[in-house]
Amino acid sequence: MRLASALQLFIASFLSAVALPVCALALDLPTGPVVLTVRGDNVAYPNVGDEAQFDIPMLEALRGREGSMETPWTKGRIRFSGPLLRSVLGAAGATGGMLKIVALNDYSAELPVEDATKLDTMLATRMDGQLMSVREKGPLFLVYPFDLDSDLFNEKYFSRSVWQITTIEVSR
Amino acid sequence: MIRTVAPRADVIGKASRVTAVLQIFAIILLCGLIYILADISARYSTLQDGIRENALWSVYQLDRETRKLHETLHVMLAVGDTSAESIKQLSTRYDILYSRMTILEEASFGGRFHIDATVSRHIAAIRDGVFGSQHDFDRLAAGGSLSAKRLGEVDMGLEAIGRSTEELLTYTNNMVSSDRADGRDAIMRLQVKSAILVGLLAVCAVFLVASLRRQLKSVRLAGLALEEVSNGFNEAFLAADAGNRAKSQFMATIGHEIRTPLNAILGTAELLELSPLPTAAASGVQTIRRSGEALLEIINEILDYAKLEHGRLEVDARPVDVEKLLRCTVDMMRDRARERGNRIHLVMPTEFSAPVIVTDPTRMRQVLLNLLSNAVKFTSGGSVTLKVSETDAAGEERLRVDVVDTGIGIDEEGLQKLFRPFSQVDLSISREYGGTGLGLTICKQIVEALGGSVGVESRPGVGSVFWFEIPRVPGAITSTTDVSASQLEDTLPALDILLVEDNLVNQQVAAGLLAHLGQKVTLAANGREGVEAVRNGRFDLVLMDMQMPVMDGIEATLMIRALGSAFAKLPIIAMTANASADDERLCHEAGMSGFEAKPMSSAQLRRIVAGAGKRLPVQLSQSPANGTDASFEVRKAEIVDAIGAEGFEEIVALFFQDATALLDQLAKARLDRDMQTADRSLHTLKGAASSIGLQDVADLSQKLRHGDISSDMFGELENTISNHRHRLAA
Repeated sequence: MRLASALQLFIASFLSAVALPVCALALDLPTGPVVLTVRGDNVAYPNVGDEAQFDIPMLEALRGREGSMETPWTKGRIRFSGPLLRSVLGAAGATGGMLKIVALNDYSAELPVEDATKLDTMLATRMDGQLMSVREKGPLFLVYPFDLDSDLFNEKYFSRSVWQITTIEVSR
Repeated sequence: MIRTVAPRADVIGKASRVTAVLQIFAIILLCGLIYILADISARYSTLQDGIRENALWSVYQLDRETRKLHETLHVMLAVGDTSAESIKQLSTRYDILYSRMTILEEASFGGRFHIDATVSRHIAAIRDGVFGSQHDFDRLAAGGSLSAKRLGEVDMGLEAIGRSTEELLTYTNNMVSSDRADGRDAIMRLQVKSAILVGLLAVCAVFLVASLRRQLKSVRLAGLALEEVSNGFNEAFLAADAGNRAKSQFMATIGHEIRTPLNAILGTAELLELSPLPTAAASGVQTIRRSGEALLEIINEILDYAKLEHGRLEVDARPVDVEKLLRCTVDMMRDRARERGNRIHLVMPTEFSAPVIVTDPTRMRQVLLNLLSNAVKFTSGGSVTLKVSETDAAGEERLRVDVVDTGIGIDEEGLQKLFRPFSQVDLSISREYGGTGLGLTICKQIVEALGGSVGVESRPGVGSVFWFEIPRVPGAITSTTDVSASQLEDTLPALDILLVEDNLVNQQVAAGLLAHLGQKVTLAANGREGVEAVRNGRFDLVLMDMQMPVMDGIEATLMIRALGSAFAKLPIIAMTANASADDERLCHEAGMSGFEAKPMSSAQLRRIVAGAGKRLPVQLSQSPANGTDASFEVRKAEIVDAIGAEGFEEIVALFFQDATALLDQLAKARLDRDMQTADRSLHTLKGAASSIGLQDVADLSQKLRHGDISSDMFGELENTISNHRHRLAA
């Protein structure tokens, strides 16, 4: 047991060392309106209580991507931009197997963490360069990389494409 | 059997037609299946394109958000709560509803959602309601306030929107449900269609397999039937062949049976001719002899043909002096030619490049004789020329022989029939000239067996040229005896010789050897016949056996010498197998000119003939009893050389026939203790055996003569003869 816990400690410190260059170790407090809360059993870098809270600048400071694509909910080709979901989880130090994405209207979708780690899924903050209001499905819109992989263009990923996101719950 | 094959073939044809039809059917079905698969694929791709937002869900969300907003406002109004927190919450709820409205307008839905008039009408109404209160909520969000009355109106408006959204929800649900049912129906139809096609294909495959099985079975059965038929043919062929063999065997047997009495007839006729007869009788006898000779010729031809038919033509190639052979053959024909008023010529190069060639002399002579006798037969008062030349056509060294006659000739049609068995130019020929029509067939087969070719050119009324060519393989006569023999033979005169001999085997052997030396031989079966022949004919030499029935050699010689002075100088040579000093003395006393040991070899005969021809005093051979130890092979070679392998076989067969009779006679004599008969039988047996070179049989017979005829020795003699019989038969 002692050995196992020693090993766990070692792995944890190793992972921390790897995570270091990617983001600031201690998550800053949000200065603007909080748009996203990451909570769960295992949020390593909480900034408010045991949750990690983000405002738009914090999110946009994270590593993100930009992609133009069509979606079933928009007219024509739209340019989405925002941080990658895995960057956000990394910034929060959140680890786990399942993610529950909760929207303003209490809509929620569960997705495996692989959707974040293996796919370049982003938490879009902007449509065609503009921040999104609630009326325009803002402030955060989970956008799968439909532009990179057309196989994703089906109902399974449509139902996971949550907009008006407020909270991400991470569980094992 | 053939009847079973035909329907089988019919079945196969039918089965293959069925197979073809089934194949075409299967291909059609396959095309149908491919079409359906293409249809499914097309439907799937439109389905893929049609992956759109769920209309029902969006409408439901819209309805829900409308109700939530209405409820929030309603509660606020009821409680009178106008706190900033509540206002903010209310504003957020409106924003959400607004976004849902936008989604409903902007999002692409599958099916006919956007093109349905009812849907459009509802959406328009809802939008008007939602967007109509946009200013009020904007004001609230900006921190402004609304009058209670205005809020009440908004509340009322939301209630109306709620009714609309509910209606839209119900309508959309119905629409989606019916769309889903239609889609399911379409898929069902496709499934049924493809199931039918697959079913038909399966049935088709089953039929195809069945048809192919049937076809294969028929083919197998047809194969079996064909095999049966072929076996039948084979058996029939074997049976026919066996029948043919039996027929030939029969012909050969009958031929032999006819030949023996015929020889007797001919011999007697010849003797008769020599005696002084009335003219009518003489001409009758001549007819008998000629007819007999013709008959003999025919029988010989048939026997030859019977042998040829079985491929038993054995070629015994050896060095042959070409010129000698040709001269000898032409000489044999000279008499016959003269009888028909023909001149016969032999034209050949002054010097042959290959004077000695390797071929079968007996066979070549047979062909020559046949062609010459044909030429003589079909020519009268003309000429027959035997033209011999050496050709080197096509790089092959050949000896070419042309037999040219000035006879009746043969027309084109007749030429076609030549060289075919049993065919003569036409029936009148066979009536006029006789013959079996086998001669040329035999010639052709012989020449081909010798590696040559044969042919004919002819013009009716002008004459014919029959020719043959055989390979000219130079050879050399190496044996010294043969060289000296040929030298001797060059000077050997053609004599008329009387052979007095009772035993058939000895007769045939001696006559054969003499004929081979170019001698004319007349046969007499005992002393009395011999005396008669001498009295009526003119002979140059008499060869006289010592022991004979009716009249022995000594007595016959005495009678000949008593005939008169004309016969005083006639050379009479005694032939004996048991030459004792006593015998020799007896011979001299009887007036014999010479004394020779039996069996006589070719060389012995040549010496005797040469001596008699020169009218030299005939020299007696010394210790004649010792001259008989020639082995069987040497003797066989000698006889085969003179009369051919077949002639030898005939003589051997004759010997065994003779020996059987003699052994019977001997056995009987032993029982009767008739020593004289026993001795005579043994003597005859000894002579015949040594004549064909079976020296051990001859020796045993001699021993038995002198010793006791014990059963041991008799048994040994029987065994020895039977052993020889088996050996020679094999």
